[in-house]
Amino acid sequence: MSTDQSSTPRVPDVENPQPTMPLTEDIRPGTANDPPVETVEPDRTATLTVDGESVTVSAESTLLDATEETDTDDYVPALCSYDEHDEIGPRSECRTCMVETEEHGVVPSCSFPAQDGMTVRTDTTEASEARDVNLDLLLSNHNLRCTTCGKNGRCELQDVSIENDVVEPRYGVFDDRDAYEPLDDSSPFIQIDRNKCILCNRCVEACNDVQVEGVLRIEGSGEDTRIGFQNDAETMMDSTCVSCGHCATVCPTGALVEQGLTDAATIPLPGFTQENSIGKTVEAENDRFQPGPATPMKGDQKSESAAEPTAESPPTEDD
Amino acid sequence: MATPKGAIGNGPVVRVAIGGDHDAGPELLRAARDATEDVRVVAVGPTGADSLAPLVLATQNGTTAFVPQCTVANVTTIVETLENGSLPDTAATVEHDPGATSMPTPPAAIDTTAVLGVGSRRVLGGCGWRAPASVADYRVSRDDELLAERAIDDPDAVHERVADAALRGRGRGDGSTDAPISGVWTTATETDGKPVVVVNANEADDHARADRLLLESAPLAVLDAALATAHAVDATDVLVYTNDAEALARERAQEAADALAADRDPDIPIQVVAGPDAYTAGEMTMALEAMEGNDRLEARRRPPGPDQYGLYGRPTVIHTPRTFAQVGQALADNDLGGVPGDPGTRLFTVAGDVDAPATIELPTDATLADVRGAVALDGGLKTACVGGRFGGLTRDLDVPASAAGLRGARLGTNGVIELFDESTCTVALAGQRAKLAREENCGRCVPCREGSKQLVELLRDVYDGEYQDGMLRELARTMRETSTCEFGQEASRPVTTAMESFEPEFRAHADGRCPSGSCDHVSS
Repeated sequence: MSTDQSSTPRVPDVENPQPTMPLTEDIRPGTANDPPVETVEPDRTATLTVDGESVTVSAESTLLDATEETDTDDYVPALCSYDEHDEIGPRSECRTCMVETEEHGVVPSCSFPAQDGMTVRTDTTEASEARDVNLDLLLSNHNLRCTTCGKNGRCELQDVSIENDVVEPRYGVFDDRDAYEPLDDSSPFIQIDRNKCILCNRCVEACNDVQVEGVLRIEGSGEDTRIGFQNDAETMMDSTCVSCGHCATVCPTGALVEQGLTDAATIPLPGFTQENSIGKTVEAENDRFQPGPATPMKGDQKSESAAEPTAESPPTEDD
Repeated sequence: MATPKGAIGNGPVVRVAIGGDHDAGPELLRAARDATEDVRVVAVGPTGADSLAPLVLATQNGTTAFVPQCTVANVTTIVETLENGSLPDTAATVEHDPGATSMPTPPAAIDTTAVLGVGSRRVLGGCGWRAPASVADYRVSRDDELLAERAIDDPDAVHERVADAALRGRGRGDGSTDAPISGVWTTATETDGKPVVVVNANEADDHARADRLLLESAPLAVLDAALATAHAVDATDVLVYTNDAEALARERAQEAADALAADRDPDIPIQVVAGPDAYTAGEMTMALEAMEGNDRLEARRRPPGPDQYGLYGRPTVIHTPRTFAQVGQALADNDLGGVPGDPGTRLFTVAGDVDAPATIELPTDATLADVRGAVALDGGLKTACVGGRFGGLTRDLDVPASAAGLRGARLGTNGVIELFDESTCTVALAGQRAKLAREENCGRCVPCREGSKQLVELLRDVYDGEYQDGMLRELARTMRETSTCEFGQEASRPVTTAMESFEPEFRAHADGRCPSGSCDHVSS
């Protein structure tokens, strides 16, 4: 799948004041250069009202931080947000965290800066409708075969769906077998099922911003948007993955699962497994030599960048 | 680089319009220049009226003869006639002040050139009349003073004038579409970092031609206003961003930038750059992403907007050429006219089932119905889509041409009016626009990416006999309220406005019938 736009953008000769780390300058995550989340008045706290309750938060807080400080009237899922590490998010992609503010109308709480004096409500019809519809939109594009999924019982999408009392998603579920993408089972460490991906971008940020490995990227647009690889590989095995597992750790669904855990939480049904649940699976080529956790492609990348092939480089057929 | 030859001044002159969608212009220009050494032959930009192209104007002693659809044989005759001291005999001849800096328009009664008499030609005044990159021509139209020169001396006065006039941004991809622009200027000035000014002319919708017209035909008016803006907000750079395919607009903008730099001290450099020919590339944050050289275009999360976090994180004032043209009018101390809440004029390109599209200019106190005089519609008018690809569908053009008037009628403000005759099915039309949204979106946010998919599915259900109006309205509301950028916020408008104005057609389709007879695959 090509990710190229119709033409190459031309970069103007304009001073770029943003610092570029030498380590990350070749990383192409395919995502926007998002602004930081902060209020216009740093070093200050903000006091705001959430569902009638007054709450004071620090200046770099979001409305979601403020709602989490209070006992809100309605459930705010905020599915794509990840609050355990600064380098990941807020992406504000799933829009299941919408709240209503007196000042700006319905806004995404996960990334909207908490400004002093704001009045926020979680329980208005507009806000709860927006959250519900967006959650159902996510489910409409998700492989809902939870019983064969390795993340069954520890899936954030499952959790918020249960918490939000989803019984029957209004747009149905993704069950058109022809439309399933093949399951990528090529790597001995990480399995990818793109049919479960909600494009929250956590794995891309974990890979690029935290591990600084530059393996994963977002590619394509519209309905063809997907998680891909920066070296244009089609499979995980052909990527430059070092099997650190951070992508699988942060993935909120069963889209990225450690191979050892792919069947950890499935409900045993004879003959029905994660691997055969969608029909098509990409397997590794058997004769591929893999001495360690990094894929052979990572080794190629190393030997290309070094003047002389290093001792760690995997042997090739010519050797 | 020397500033190109001007078209304004005494003595006979032949103007050959080059640009727009016609490629005969250069051939006519060559023929005209080959035919004479005495008469000035000047290449000008297009007028916006496609039905007249290729257009040649012959001017002598304060009289101009209009020769639309000119041929090589005609242009040779015109030049020879002018050499002999007389004007060619044409259907439209207009008398004017010999030093006129704006195109004198033929009276609307003269059939072939009537389109030029529709609305007012204020920001379009130089289009087809002044040599696009001639600073001399442009200076004459501004009483010899560039707006940028005045802005250097008193930058605050520029900001004050724009704020007092309450000018609103025009078009898609503007940093303050339909909102007063002085707000983003203030924010950009007050934010840490050196501001950048971006002229966003990237528009892949072939029907939205006004920005391209301004850059091809009157680029100096846009660039001078952008430079004045840069002085007002203390910016260090001006960038002009176009589609990759729009080579002529880019070439003329570059010529104009070079001519401006040669005319005055280039203390603020103007760079002309191209972005992808994708519809999304015109959205303001994706425009910035393209200019930064990102390999995949994706809308940026907001707030904060580009006025605080723009190109490379620097505060950025981003407007379309249409907005800068209005800034130019305000700074030239012209009476802007129009309604006080949205002063000035708006440019509209009339397209659809018409003989030839035309870009015309209406004061904001006019009504859209005036555009009917600019085009010949095949058949009777059934539906108009106002506002671009994701505009609103309506039967009624009796709507004010102001931002408030258009929004009040639930129409879009992106300066496009597509007219459709009785054979166009509104359900199918709305469906095509929904499909476009599904295919062209950047893929970032769920309400737009997944919402547009479900929007198409729900419209398919109508053809299958099930019209779920409540579901459609709920989905459209969520897309409008929760999408990250204007693409998703506006993507459902053709569907919702079609449901409002043409509801019986939806019910008829659910019953297996297409009233306009154009959907042959309706299930029965």
